[in-house]
Amino acid sequence: MKTNAMDKRDAFRHNVLTSGHRACSGCGEAMAARMVSDLIGPDAIYINATGCLQVFTTHNQQSAWQAPWIHSVFANAAAVASGVEAALRAKGKGTPVVVQAGDGGTFDIGLQCLSGMIERGHDVLFVCYDNEAYMNTGVQRSSSTPHAVRTTTSPPGRLSQGKHHLKKDVISIIAAHHMPYAATATIAYFPDLKAKVEKAMRIKGPRFLQILSPCPLGWAHDSALSVTVSRLAVETGLFPLVELEHGELTGVMRLAEQKPVEEYLRPQGRFKHLFGSKTGAVELRHLQALADARIRHYDLLDADTQWDTERAMQSARHGRGGYASSMPTSEAVKNDA
Amino acid sequence: MTPELDIEPGSSHAYHTGDWRTRQPVYRNKWPPCSQTCPASEDIQAWLALATEQQWQAAWRKLTERNPFPATMGRICYHPCESACNRKHLDSAVNIHAMERYLGDRAITRGWKHKAVCDTPQTQRVAIVGAGPAGLSCAFQLARQGYPVTIFDAQAAPGGTLYSAIPDYRLPKSVLAKEINAILALGIELRLNSRVGKEISESDLRDQFDAVFLAIGTQRPRQYLTKESSKHSVMSGLEFLHRLNRGEQIALLSKRKSKQVAVVGGGNTAIDVARCVRRLGAEVTVICAQDSHGNHHRELGTEMPASRQEVIEAETEGVQLIYRAGVCRLVRSGEHLSGIEVAHVDQVYDRHGNFNPVLFDGTEEFVPAGLAIFAIGQEADWQGLERLSQATESEGVWLGGDAVSKSKLAATAVGSGYQAAMSIMARLKGESFVFDDHKKAQITFRQMQLHYYPKQPRHEGETNEQRLDGFNEVVTGLADDDAAHEARRCLSCGVCFRCDNCWHFCPDAAVIKTTADYEIDYNYCKGCGICAQECPCGHIDMERLND
Amino acid sequence: MKKLLEGSQAVAEAVRLCRPQVVAAYPITPQTHIIERLAQQVANGELEAEFINAESEFGAASIVLGAVAAGARAFTATASQGLLLMTEVLYNIAGLRLPVVMVCANRAVGAPINIFSDHQDSMAVRDAGWIQLYVESNQEAVDTLIQAYRIAEVCGLPVMVCMDGFLLTHTFEPVDLPTQVMVDNFLPPFHFSRTLAPSRPMTLGGGSEPENYQEFRMAQFEAMENARAVIEAFDAEFDDQFGRAHGGLLQAYRLHGAQTVLLGMGSLMGAVRDVVDKLRDQGQAVGALRLRCFRPFPAQALTQYLSGVQRIVVLEKAISIGAGGIVAAELRAALHQAGNMTPVESVIGGLGGRDLTPEVIETVFQETPLNEKGATFRFAPNHVMPDETDRGDCL
Repeated sequence: MKTNAMDKRDAFRHNVLTSGHRACSGCGEAMAARMVSDLIGPDAIYINATGCLQVFTTHNQQSAWQAPWIHSVFANAAAVASGVEAALRAKGKGTPVVVQAGDGGTFDIGLQCLSGMIERGHDVLFVCYDNEAYMNTGVQRSSSTPHAVRTTTSPPGRLSQGKHHLKKDVISIIAAHHMPYAATATIAYFPDLKAKVEKAMRIKGPRFLQILSPCPLGWAHDSALSVTVSRLAVETGLFPLVELEHGELTGVMRLAEQKPVEEYLRPQGRFKHLFGSKTGAVELRHLQALADARIRHYDLLDADTQWDTERAMQSARHGRGGYASSMPTSEAVKNDA
Repeated sequence: MTPELDIEPGSSHAYHTGDWRTRQPVYRNKWPPCSQTCPASEDIQAWLALATEQQWQAAWRKLTERNPFPATMGRICYHPCESACNRKHLDSAVNIHAMERYLGDRAITRGWKHKAVCDTPQTQRVAIVGAGPAGLSCAFQLARQGYPVTIFDAQAAPGGTLYSAIPDYRLPKSVLAKEINAILALGIELRLNSRVGKEISESDLRDQFDAVFLAIGTQRPRQYLTKESSKHSVMSGLEFLHRLNRGEQIALLSKRKSKQVAVVGGGNTAIDVARCVRRLGAEVTVICAQDSHGNHHRELGTEMPASRQEVIEAETEGVQLIYRAGVCRLVRSGEHLSGIEVAHVDQVYDRHGNFNPVLFDGTEEFVPAGLAIFAIGQEADWQGLERLSQATESEGVWLGGDAVSKSKLAATAVGSGYQAAMSIMARLKGESFVFDDHKKAQITFRQMQLHYYPKQPRHEGETNEQRLDGFNEVVTGLADDDAAHEARRCLSCGVCFRCDNCWHFCPDAAVIKTTADYEIDYNYCKGCGICAQECPCGHIDMERLND
Repeated sequence: MKKLLEGSQAVAEAVRLCRPQVVAAYPITPQTHIIERLAQQVANGELEAEFINAESEFGAASIVLGAVAAGARAFTATASQGLLLMTEVLYNIAGLRLPVVMVCANRAVGAPINIFSDHQDSMAVRDAGWIQLYVESNQEAVDTLIQAYRIAEVCGLPVMVCMDGFLLTHTFEPVDLPTQVMVDNFLPPFHFSRTLAPSRPMTLGGGSEPENYQEFRMAQFEAMENARAVIEAFDAEFDDQFGRAHGGLLQAYRLHGAQTVLLGMGSLMGAVRDVVDKLRDQGQAVGALRLRCFRPFPAQALTQYLSGVQRIVVLEKAISIGAGGIVAAELRAALHQAGNMTPVESVIGGLGGRDLTPEVIETVFQETPLNEKGATFRFAPNHVMPDETDRGDCL
């Protein structure tokens, strides 16, 4: 089987994650995983933690994957990848190994295996599709869930305004492992995501990408707004796009302008309880303060970088906007023609 | 059956998630606001897109499908397209006007020739009365389709108002002549100095031709209603421009005492006249009954009709304008005009919408002037065409151009000629005709995602610093590089420019990219709406599905 | 040529001879000497394998899972808490039908925490879908490990070689280590048909539904049923090539004419044989039966061996709290299924490393009334230690 021509429907990309998967309409994780896996291509081995991505892509003898792919259990994706990578190393093969996990499989239950994998220096890219809660099981809070978010296990009530605790700063934890490469990205900035995946694939050793992936179900926003919402997460400063190499901050996407957090919060039902009450207003101010703090921490407004949110939205396609960029395959297709 | 431990790649294709859909995306071209407002219905987006690819000749051909006068229009059109351009919500409108001129000039420089669309010669003959923009536009369309066309014009040179009423600093005669010659080169017969009713009769036209298009323009100036009978030191704007364009000396201006001129009117002709007067070395005051541009108006629609850009240029050249001023009377010293008494205009239009200013007593002022030029409109002169002008299309007679349209823009005349040609051809072929006036779905910037476009400065032609020394063109054309960059500023409103967003963002890999465009695989599209939401140019519509 | 080797070292040498490409483990008493030796072998270049220091037993099991899925022969070892921490992955390895081989250095399970040997740990995961082979000696540990890879790779089932912690792992015995050539002749290179590879982009471990989950389990069960014959055949083949056999599923001792038979597993069976000899010398018709293969449970073979026996005693080192002896219960079910109503006495002893001395075993052979009405088992009596402080040497 010629692997790079598996998906006959589209001549311009592999569709490593192809159609017929059962993600909810507008799923940010499906989009992110399709982007990442297409950038890496089918000549890699994919290890998936339990979670939405595994559930909606493999169902009852049907698989949406068109690359070698394995799922074991929830917590162990990084360890399975370690074993796969060790086996490939032992056999003298250089096939790339990629882990895909949700925030549960990264921040919480999978953190120990991930830490072990990084400490041992396995040549594996670990991709976390961060949708900020346990969506697969029906939107329970995770350690990635931001402050004041409504989930089924952090419900607002007379005594509560949603989640009491803060979103875990996992990228710092990962980077502190003397990590060769750790970066955050999101679906709204495809050129940025592409650059980071490609950079990650050029580096040897453990690499980590945290990709904010909105969940229309869990975040309670219109399915059409997944990209918009993820863009606003960045533009408000709540989700900084950064790169860390061996623990040092080496890249920041500067904010062309800072947007108030309310623009991000408003379209999302998971923050709805904060609007229209005095206690909610306190949390809104708290969220704004958190965004401000992150902007200061990463110097998002003044960082010395050419890469800002406005530029990242645009592409070189005749300078006319849009995201057009040639995928590795499209070049190949052109050369074939 | 024992299930397999390993599952076939891509076996999910068997599951058609398209069943989930309650709404679906549809790729649909919209009619961008530039084209929507273009009186000639040019497909501006399309020719700019070709220009983006630096396919200059293809762009010129696309443009001239609707308007064979790009070099001309690129100079004189008041470009309502740019006022409508969605790009002004991002930075500033695309310089469509300059791009049009660039393509027109490029065609002239390189001697590009129009091509016939249909090689089969037609036998039915069409007569066109008036070799102005409407008549020539109509002739151009018919000739391209193989119809033998004869144009009759009473004047000694073709071009109509373009020739007789546009000053050289806006449109050099040579540019107009070259574009007209390119049109005529399609095999159009032009009979100059041929006035219907004199050199050729109405009945000859009816007998010798299968169809007649009357595009006689407005050659008769509207008369200023005044009690006095003396025409001394008073002329119409049209007459002034005609004489100037024929190279005549305007005698009254040459006298030392007549160095002050008043121009009455708020339209483009008034501004043209005023700017010409400045070039002839006189001071000039424009007396305008309406408000200036951009003011908060007491009544709606009282802004002066002249193009804002032209007014700015006029002011730059030292033209004085007084607004909301109506003429009370001409003040004479014997035969000689010494000035005009004006008063404040309260109401510009009456309740029927007619121009009927009400002047307030006690607000009179004196505007000194040795010459008064009234540019207050013009109308068609149907003399010699009394019967034909009453005929209908079913009788084989079509009317068009300035003579019958409310808008007097040259581009409107071009559009009118195009429509007439289409209607004539349909009738000659016995087909019914519905003019595609591009009333497709419109697109506003609100339906677009402007953040996907980088801000880019607008490119302009260079301004002639010695503009008042004679009648040289005020503005030069765009440099090649600037034209290429300016074309790329087009947002391609409502028309796909293959940015890949829909393809990148589809979570379901249901957008398929082909070498030509994109297709939606409805077997898998779940109808999330992200593609439509993130389409920069608003090309994708979401349609609700009925079950 | 026999060498005096600690059980752990012997096993490590056997692992080396099987040419694993990936070894992953997390240290836990009493498994540590096995992996320390393997680490040293890798460090010395004697074993060409990736030695992965996992961050937990859960990780170790997952690493070997990944390694085997990627087509490498892999090894891990653990015990007790570590095995239980692996439990989720053990089920997963079996469900994915990955031929992993591991050694369980059998140890008690806390609380209270206890590092000494019993079978509670491996018994706790008896339903995970692993073949479980309980060895009696260091030599058998070596031989069984070599067999285990072949069994696993032929059956598509993981194999757990269970050896008593300390009693075997830390005990020096003369061991005949086979040569590499002999092992290579017996054990062909590993080829895994479902190897993850871009040339064969299949999906492993996808979701299943009520309409097919049970079929997966049925297929697994069937593979386990078929494994009995494989285990026996490879033990026999091993005998041919190496001159040693370990009984396949069961090892009988002086069963001929025996009216009372004691059934047990693991290292205690040496002492049992001594007691059988002594009692036979005293004229008692006793015999012993060693259950080598607990999973798959050799119900049919057991029934055959035990037909005509009047009294069966099962001595086991694990307890199902709330039910009693585990092996005994399964044996009762097997006999009952075969229409054999011989009573099975269940004796539980040796928990948490308590000594099952010949004296204790001898009392187990004696008919003893159950303490309570309705009880299904009794505890073995205590052996009175001459000096309790002797124990400290083992630590």
